[in-house]
Amino acid sequence: MALVPDTLINPHTPARAALPDVLGILTACGYGVLQLPPSGKHGLLLAVIADQVAEYAHHGYAVVAIGVRGEPDGGLHWRRLAPLLRHRGAALPPRFSLRPDVDAAAEGQRFAAFLSGYDLPVEEQRRWRV
Amino acid sequence: MTTSQRIDGGKESGVEQDAPRKVALIAHCLLNQNAKVCEGAHYRGLVSPVVEALRSRGYMLLQLPCPELAFAGVRRWWAVYEQYDTPAYRAHCRRLAQAIAPLIEQHLRRGDEVILIGLDGSPSTGVRFTSSKPDWGGRPNRPEDDWEIVPRRGVWIEELEAELARRGLPPVPATGWALDMGRFDEAGSRRDLEQFLDSREIAAGSRDDDSGAGQPAAP
Repeated sequence: MALVPDTLINPHTPARAALPDVLGILTACGYGVLQLPPSGKHGLLLAVIADQVAEYAHHGYAVVAIGVRGEPDGGLHWRRLAPLLRHRGAALPPRFSLRPDVDAAAEGQRFAAFLSGYDLPVEEQRRWRV
Repeated sequence: MTTSQRIDGGKESGVEQDAPRKVALIAHCLLNQNAKVCEGAHYRGLVSPVVEALRSRGYMLLQLPCPELAFAGVRRWWAVYEQYDTPAYRAHCRRLAQAIAPLIEQHLRRGDEVILIGLDGSPSTGVRFTSSKPDWGGRPNRPEDDWEIVPRRGVWIEELEAELARRGLPPVPATGWALDMGRFDEAGSRRDLEQFLDSREIAAGSRDDDSGAGQPAAP
């Protein structure tokens, strides 16, 4: 599944609307979504999200984080979320950064290739997917 | 009062004053089927018919936390309302409600139209229906499909609505995607959801007509 910034789920600025259809690509690649809140202080909600990510990671789910270049922390609240995940003993998910300044179709292909290619390390796959 | 009326007159400081938006609070698993209990998922990731129906009508999406996943984990057993109707689980749901309520409150206070799409049949996220079997408990060896569907909110929705009420906010119009009703009927669920959304459009149109009735005619 993917941690996804609010700005990619609810693109209300022209710059964000020029990005690839993130939900469409996630659907095509079979990923679920964990939506992050918009900018602002959301300490309790981020803790709740960290609890969920830690639970998934503890049971061998592949989790990625999708950021947006140019957004503070990529829109991922990373400076707050990363310590919360570490505190729960969860590895930080790999991050993919979408670029709003390039062709959306090409960026969509790069994004889809990342999602399709990503998986847990082989030893983890063996552990969880007998 | 309806949720489409600004409950503070749109004057709260620090809140954007642009046009009201349409916001759909959606059950966590409608965007992430990984959260479903084992054998409960019907899609790989997102429930695309729900997402498409909402986005095509201009709704912003606000995903609710999954209370069962954070409480009982991804390897939990199936359960009914009565098994989750405990003080500890309700306290957990209240914590989640307190985490998400500020975002919902922000939308309501700026006059956005807010709706809730839950998960009918779910012991936690049911809106119109939840699952019930008062004698479930102990060894998980129940015969298939022996629970009942009853017209009632799930525990999480009850606690979320209570938290919004504590903040003095009006009830949010709600319906459920019938994923946990025993046999899943996607076409019927889609029809139900679209009827609900279309009824919101009609209601919003009527309110716009009413609010314009007392205005002076344009020159």
